[in-house]
Amino acid sequence: MKRQELEFSVNGAPVQTWAAPDQRLVDLLRDTLGLTGTKEGCGEGECGACTVLVDGLAVNACLYPCLEVAGKEVTTVEGLATGAGQLSVIQRAFVDQGGVQCGYCTPGMVLSAKALLDENPSPDERQIREALVGNLCRCTGYTQIVAAVRAAAADLEVDHG
Amino acid sequence: MEYFRPTSLSEALEMRRSTAGAMFIAGGTDLMVRFRKEGRSRPPALISLRDVEGLRGIEVTPEVVRLGALTTMGDIVRHAGLAAACPALAQAARRVGSPQIRNVATVGGNLCNASPCADSAPPLLVHDAWVELADARSKREVGLEYFFSGPGETGRTPGEVLTAICFRPLGPGQRSGFLKKSRVHMDLAQASVAALLEMEGDTCRAARLAAGSVGPTPLRLVSVEQKLAGARLTDALLQEVAGLASEAVAPIDDIRSTEAYRRRIVGVYVKRLVRALGGDA
Repeated sequence: MKRQELEFSVNGAPVQTWAAPDQRLVDLLRDTLGLTGTKEGCGEGECGACTVLVDGLAVNACLYPCLEVAGKEVTTVEGLATGAGQLSVIQRAFVDQGGVQCGYCTPGMVLSAKALLDENPSPDERQIREALVGNLCRCTGYTQIVAAVRAAAADLEVDHG
Repeated sequence: MEYFRPTSLSEALEMRRSTAGAMFIAGGTDLMVRFRKEGRSRPPALISLRDVEGLRGIEVTPEVVRLGALTTMGDIVRHAGLAAACPALAQAARRVGSPQIRNVATVGGNLCNASPCADSAPPLLVHDAWVELADARSKREVGLEYFFSGPGETGRTPGEVLTAICFRPLGPGQRSGFLKKSRVHMDLAQASVAALLEMEGDTCRAARLAAGSVGPTPLRLVSVEQKLAGARLTDALLQEVAGLASEAVAPIDDIRSTEAYRRRIVGVYVKRLVRALGGDA
């Protein structure tokens, strides 16, 4: 297995590393870079626990050959908080609305919500549910998660005035 | 295993020619699962097509729509002109997996993977699509109808890259649409149906229909098309074509559905789709 040099950016910081051709992005993030906020659930693109953003688009890190992120910007849940203990608006809304129970799906949910709100700042409930269709939660029943995304959209609108 | 990331088509084809057993990979949403899950022996090399110049993009003209093979389902959903040029494909792309899958999965990969349930296949069949294939020596075009040869099997040789998919956009009086039945929204289809109708008042001048997940390949529903051509879209006729559709397909029982249910749903969806499209007149 020939390892190849790989340069890309994670949460705004440049990364230089070596990666194997069969390594998936989720393995690189968790095992090589120690960014364990990204979770692996099903390993086949069904559950969305491993959702990260690549150049702003939500993808399943378990299906993404890591060599394909060369030159790209990857955003993980670690990149969302704005400072020590300072959650992003979307994360805060998940806490406030009770959108987190066991928490395993939460990083992926939050990133899918971010991808949605970056593209559509005021989604209706149907659009929120469509955007989260690739993220499974076995605890909440989704109601609080949808409420969290609505609340985040309202808060972001206030922030941007 | 090696992983090549060529930036030109000639480079990609040359890599394939000089590396026995190498496999092309596009978005990888099917291949990555297959490599992992089925313990399938991995090829000695993967040749990624993602960064190959000129393979991605959507061109819409009044005569022809051309999709670069590496165009993602997300690109199709987000494209402003495709919903009018090819409603069936725009609707089908929205039903592929989840946003995460659509941002990576490509239309060329969907066709080359050749699953009977490929969501993009029935819409492209009713829009009379053809694919462009290239190897190190030559290029050729194949009608999509003749491209699929069995589950996971196509007329593409291992040394060929599917470079583009072309089809005719809707003409005057034409409309197209797509319906998919799945257990939950993001699941693979239990059955899917696409139709393109050319209407004049309440008479159907011509029709093309295709169905997915109901045979070894995506299928044209020729008997339904013949029945609809030149006919008024009455309730009795719709009932009749539903029956023809159920008879025309060759589904199997599997983990997602049964043969009987698939036959039934394909008839119901043909009726529903033809009625909806015909009613837009």
